[in-house]
Amino acid sequence: MTEIRSVAVLGAGVMGAGIAAQVANAGIPVMLLDIVPEGAAPERRSQLAEDALARMMKTDPAPFMSKAAARLVTPGNIEDHFETLSQVDWIVEAVIERLDIKQALYARLEAVRKPGSVVSSNTSTLPLATLVEGLPASFARDFLITHFFNPPRYMRLLEVVAGPDTRPEAVAAVTRVADHALGKSVVAAKDRPGFIANRLGVYWLQAAVVEAVDQGLAIEDVDAVIGKPMGIPKTGVFGLLDLVGLDLMPHVTKSLAAALDPQDPFHALNRPMPAIERLIADGYTGRKGKGGFYRLNKAEGKRKEAFDFTTQTFRPARKADVPALASAGRSLNALLEHPGPHGTYAWRVMGRTLAYAAALLGDAADTVDAIDEAMRLGYNWKYGPFELIDRLGADWLRGRLEAEGWPVPEALRVAAGRSFYRVEDGRRQRLDLDGQYRDVVRAPGVLLLQDIKLTSQPIMKNGSAALWDIGDGVACFEFTSKMNSLDADIMDLLGKALRRVKRDYKALVIYNEGTNFSVGANLGLALFAANIAAWSEIEALVAQGQETYQALREAPFPVVGAPSGMALGGGCEILLHCDAVQAHAESYIGLVEVGVGLIPAWGGCATMLERWATLGRLPKGPMPAIARVFEIVSTATVAKSAAEAKDLLFLRPTDGITMNRDRLLADAKARALALVEGYTPPEAPSYTLPGPTARTAMGLAVTSFRRLGKATPYDEVVAGALAAVLSGGDTDVLTPLDRDAVLALERSHFMRLVRTPGTLARLESMLMTRKPLRN
Amino acid sequence: MASYRAPLRDMRYVLYTLMGGEELSSLPGYEEFTPDLIDPVLEEAAKLCEGVLHPLNRPGDEAGCVFENGVVRTPSGFPEAYATFREGGWTALSCDPAYGGQGVPHMVATLVEEMICSANLSFGMVPGLSYGAYVALHEFGTEDLKAAYLPALVDGTWTGTMCLTEPQCGTDLGLVRTRAVPQEDGSYRLTGTKIFISAGEHDLAENIVHLVLARLPDAPKGVKGISLFLVPKFLPDAQGRPGPRNGVSCGAIEHKMGIKASPTCVMNFDDATGWLVGEPHKGLRAMFSMMNAERLSVGVQGLGLAEAAYQGAVAYARERGQGRSLAGTKNPDKAADAIIVHPDVRRMLLIQRATVEGCRALALWTARHLDLSTHHPDPVAREESADFVALMTPVVKALMTDMGFTSTNLGVQVFGGHGYIREHGMEQYVRDARIAQIYEGTNGIQALDLVGRKLGAHAGRYLRRFFHPVGAYIEAHGEEERLAPFVTPLAKAFVRLQQATAQVARAGLRDPEEAAAVASDYLRLFGLTALGFLWARMAETALEHQGDDADGFHAAKLATARFYMDKMLPETGALFSVIMAGGASIGALDEAAF
Repeated sequence: MTEIRSVAVLGAGVMGAGIAAQVANAGIPVMLLDIVPEGAAPERRSQLAEDALARMMKTDPAPFMSKAAARLVTPGNIEDHFETLSQVDWIVEAVIERLDIKQALYARLEAVRKPGSVVSSNTSTLPLATLVEGLPASFARDFLITHFFNPPRYMRLLEVVAGPDTRPEAVAAVTRVADHALGKSVVAAKDRPGFIANRLGVYWLQAAVVEAVDQGLAIEDVDAVIGKPMGIPKTGVFGLLDLVGLDLMPHVTKSLAAALDPQDPFHALNRPMPAIERLIADGYTGRKGKGGFYRLNKAEGKRKEAFDFTTQTFRPARKADVPALASAGRSLNALLEHPGPHGTYAWRVMGRTLAYAAALLGDAADTVDAIDEAMRLGYNWKYGPFELIDRLGADWLRGRLEAEGWPVPEALRVAAGRSFYRVEDGRRQRLDLDGQYRDVVRAPGVLLLQDIKLTSQPIMKNGSAALWDIGDGVACFEFTSKMNSLDADIMDLLGKALRRVKRDYKALVIYNEGTNFSVGANLGLALFAANIAAWSEIEALVAQGQETYQALREAPFPVVGAPSGMALGGGCEILLHCDAVQAHAESYIGLVEVGVGLIPAWGGCATMLERWATLGRLPKGPMPAIARVFEIVSTATVAKSAAEAKDLLFLRPTDGITMNRDRLLADAKARALALVEGYTPPEAPSYTLPGPTARTAMGLAVTSFRRLGKATPYDEVVAGALAAVLSGGDTDVLTPLDRDAVLALERSHFMRLVRTPGTLARLESMLMTRKPLRN
Repeated sequence: MASYRAPLRDMRYVLYTLMGGEELSSLPGYEEFTPDLIDPVLEEAAKLCEGVLHPLNRPGDEAGCVFENGVVRTPSGFPEAYATFREGGWTALSCDPAYGGQGVPHMVATLVEEMICSANLSFGMVPGLSYGAYVALHEFGTEDLKAAYLPALVDGTWTGTMCLTEPQCGTDLGLVRTRAVPQEDGSYRLTGTKIFISAGEHDLAENIVHLVLARLPDAPKGVKGISLFLVPKFLPDAQGRPGPRNGVSCGAIEHKMGIKASPTCVMNFDDATGWLVGEPHKGLRAMFSMMNAERLSVGVQGLGLAEAAYQGAVAYARERGQGRSLAGTKNPDKAADAIIVHPDVRRMLLIQRATVEGCRALALWTARHLDLSTHHPDPVAREESADFVALMTPVVKALMTDMGFTSTNLGVQVFGGHGYIREHGMEQYVRDARIAQIYEGTNGIQALDLVGRKLGAHAGRYLRRFFHPVGAYIEAHGEEERLAPFVTPLAKAFVRLQQATAQVARAGLRDPEEAAAVASDYLRLFGLTALGFLWARMAETALEHQGDDADGFHAAKLATARFYMDKMLPETGALFSVIMAGGASIGALDEAAF
């Protein structure tokens, strides 16, 4: 079995560099090579790769998950360092899209690479069959296409294309490392132009643009229709084009058109767009340029403007005005049947796109779930095209296509009277082109709550949370509230769950499959309670949280937290109380309470103090740990990756990181089970805190920040409360405090803040505008 | 016949002692309104109401208005009284000095309004409506419109109306059909029929300025497509004097239960010339500026009538002899004791008294914030006060008109059969009070406004303006033994209100109908708790004046406060149970089964 332990990426452009960074994020050493630019100074022969690395250190969102990861990338050039390629297991080619250059490179590679190593190309336009033409059979056996999406760290889709000669072992090795190490969802695509996601995605965008121009619709209305109602990101069509760049589209459509069969329906949509060409020529290339279809008019006080295809000019942007949306409600059929212009538009774009998707079955991919996964992960659609067809009804779609006189794809005939997905005996099945249903098979070792839900009922649940049996004596606690915000119901059920797990299970995992693990306490409820002066209720909720988290920490069984996405405020604090955390690499953890004028009061201060005192590797004495926690919490620092969360001790050095989102639950479960044998709950810490002197020191620091304009007057108030808690209140170094004493300090200072108008104003601003108030 | 004496002693107490009215003059723009200016205003208003308006109340009710050939005649004496009223500057009372107004603070104007409503509600309708029209025009009119119409509205030579309702369109203003067609000169031509237009036509003033809701030709459907227009009865000529007759006329007046001396007109607009007030399709916003002012005023109508009924009932209960006191004969020289000795009569009188004094305090608390919302130098304080007014407006309107109706009804009850006959004027108060629960948004609509709009606004920020001061008061005084009989029941009611508020907000998020089903009960719980807070504060001031109370005023306050706490505030317990029971039983009965 080929194991990939070292990687090289050839080509240090945006994609190549980004791929190298993600390989490094997985802890795998990687070489990043590019050509030697003409006339390069002797010491700057690797400057293309070196500059790409330097650029990535400044890019936001960051390609690297940590500084340590960045050190795993070795820059070089293909003249001086080509020989070293003989050492690597996987060579990713991401050079310019020119066949001659790629093939020349492959020929050189064939001479140096080690036997059994794998070569893959990140091409998005050249067929695999063409790429291997004229190359030895030994090369073709080890060659495949790995099509990453930009940015490679954040886009989870990887399309893999194997040729007829490619060794299955080579595909398996790359799939394994891409899945486990790079965290990608690998979708098998066929050697067809644009593969899956871009073939369909570009068709969809082109259809949407062409129809919008022909019908003279406002782009705001288009983005409102071809967006949220279909589970498509709210950037819609024109917002998305502004993001990817208007100038990219002509290249993509041109190369697709050149490669596709003459009878492909894409050609009917591919026509010159003079208005867009002029926008590009005028520098309106999108957000990277001076704007795109939307722009901010600085002359008019940063007024948002939208391009109007009818007048060919910019005009003030307005709110979408789509009566069809209101009258259709949640029914997608009603929207696509609405007789007005927007309903007609929605049908003409989505009807075609879904028909095209159906036509791609058997052509671009063999299964509907591959196509759906590609669109979900490549274009961030909430539902794949076949899931959308099932929502509309395959027969409904066929009927309308026939009524229009548009061709009906074979897949829709196969699905007559049926749906593309069904659940049979608790297993999700897909319909294949041969008319048979087959199980949708997860990669080995993938465990998902959504699958467990198909076959079982929760052990217990209420309006905000549920407890599931995930097998082998492990239970999983899931938040189900809006945005997974924490409320009294969650605390209530968590308390009950701890008692049940103690009785019936071996271990507990805290995990969910929302976009974010938890954005923290439900601020709306908190502010409402504050507005009606229900102070005792707020205090009770704070106390309930402290007690529940404490019970979780002291439970006689191991508890493993498994976050993905944001884990903020109370969502971070629950992780701090777990015995171990298995975090998705893309976890964004932080104590952000000060942003709404509060301090962590569900044990966040107490636990961070304990962490930094014991694990912090800081100079002696109580002060360094206090100062570090104060710095982290008073600035609402959020770790931008699980790796960074370790640096901040939101995670322990021993906590695990899972690269693939779909493997998180399985990894967390395994970690929990590993802790069962001989488990004892952690001991309660004792704190040595200096009291008022430390508080004064931190206060002075904040005051100087305020004088420098780096902190606002109310920041000073909030930081003062935080300093009071972290320094131990009125204690002194000779009087050790127990955890309860620190929790009491958290509580009392939280309660003082929540009664202050400055905090209420911050809470209101966050809830009403989603923006922190700098008062 | 019932007589009326303006309750100046209590008014001054609420204004100065309870609500800090002496500090009004520290607000920019109110500098001159010191007690030595305010007191004479109140005294003059009292004289006018007692001597001129009140004597016309009963005859006006008997005579009613007369409609003949498109002309409305108000009852005998009304035109002269209006002339006196106008010449006394009362129409200009709280208007902008820039247009000839006197700029009197709302706290003072509210007390004057109460007196007018006690004395003669029908009469008060005309200046009341004019003020509503003034507010909308002042806030949203163009400079030209304001210059042409505001001075005459302010000095009362012209009066105003609000033309909202149409035969098919009552509460749901989205159904407005009256059309407005733009003309080349920037004016509009309006066509349509409006009904229930108070003071739509009368013989009191030389011109009438109608503010009319109508639709432009390109208007979107529903409430987002209505615009506000100004349509005068007579188009002003070059000198600004009433000129040619406009295409607006009165088609009929209604025959109604009460306020008979106030003409309620059907108004026909036939290609009538008008001008846009505010932005196209934004009529609702402009309309609400006058509506909010009117809603507070309607609340005060409930208070004014309750006061008048209370005065009548007390006088009667003192002189009417029937039976003997159960505690032993009180007046052996007479054939019977005065009925005021009987506990049930005293119960009724005390409910009236606690209602009147409590509502007066509530009205002035709100008026105080209305003043602060416009005149406080700190924008934060202005916003806080505006929040408070927005929150309390539906409470003031609905609670005070509901309690006003109950109180006038008790007035009839104290009189027994003599209350039911017309001679004593007690039944007129009941009939007059009834409309206040209906117009300017029925009390059911007020409850929906409170629950649907005010509770959730700015994530509940409005609530803070009420709950925080009351909560802080309870915290500050909860341990004081002498205040315990007042603060303890208040604290109980307050907790009920807090819990009910959380429940209603939660239910409303899940299912708006759940919140709507308990909205009226919730508003009453809110209002009774607000009165509980004010009565606790009144008790506190009364305790401070023990030993310094020659006229027994504060002793009476304390006794009434106790009555409120013992006999009226406990209703909050029942309301709490009702609210917690939710809306299930309201939705359960099949529509066809009714």
